[in-house]
Amino acid sequence: MKKILLLVLMSLSLGAFAGEVNVKVSGMVCSMCAQGIQKKFSGETAIEKLHVDMDKKEVHITIKDGQDISDDTIKKLITEAGYNVAAITRK
Amino acid sequence: MKKLMTLLLLISFKAFAHPVIYKGGWAISSSNMPDYSNNYVMYSLSNRFSVGMDHWRFGQRDEDLNNDLGLLKLNHLLWRRNGEESQANVYLHGGLGVEDQEFEKKTLRGAYMYGLEADWETRTLYTSLKHYQFNDIAVTQARVGFSPKTAKFEDLQTWFMVQGMVINDVNEELMITPLVRFFYHNVLWEMGSSTRGEWMINLMVHY
Repeated sequence: MKKILLLVLMSLSLGAFAGEVNVKVSGMVCSMCAQGIQKKFSGETAIEKLHVDMDKKEVHITIKDGQDISDDTIKKLITEAGYNVAAITRK
Repeated sequence: MKKLMTLLLLISFKAFAHPVIYKGGWAISSSNMPDYSNNYVMYSLSNRFSVGMDHWRFGQRDEDLNNDLGLLKLNHLLWRRNGEESQANVYLHGGLGVEDQEFEKKTLRGAYMYGLEADWETRTLYTSLKHYQFNDIAVTQARVGFSPKTAKFEDLQTWFMVQGMVINDVNEELMITPLVRFFYHNVLWEMGSSTRGEWMINLMVHY
């Protein structure tokens, strides 16, 4: 019982840490054009850090503690930047 | 009218950008050669449409004459394919405005333009083709290029390109211009010299 309680407490505390989101993006071949991704996400207060990886064709998003950004918002912003979302993975 | 044309020129930056960028973004573009220049400022209403002011100058060097066009222009991203390793685009353009014609020793008349533009690129290959039709002038331009090395998001990227361009009613000869393109963050600049010895300087900024 104590072990179960400990596991539950640990999983709850992990949820309070900053989240990491990896977004696989299609069409990201021009770094100048991809600046638009940074611009579009710059207004999102839940984001602590954003990194565009042209080699892996991914956008790595670090979310602030206790906050979140939905998959729908991510897809909307990537689309408004001119790209397609291939996959979203959360850690 | 010349004052208005000058104002359009002054308020428009120069750069050679995608005509439609991200929603809410500004593209400022300038393309310059001795017999030709194009400057514009465009605002992307969405990732499919942009609108802005566009200025064109076509020169006849032998007679030191210029035709200037100032247009309100609409650009539409008609089709885009975002592949895993490439992107392809097709744009439609249309504009209305005024033309100051020194070629015909006339002053002002109404002006229109329409055009089609297509490009395909990867991180190391680039191709584009565009055709614009104005009142009496047509511009056709094609480019191919390569980048010897892929660049990370934060790094300077270098491209080597060749441009072929025909401006009918100006010189009607094919102008071949090798050029070098650099871009860093949101700024792009290009320098070249045609096979006839004409310089080319282009600058582009995205905001």
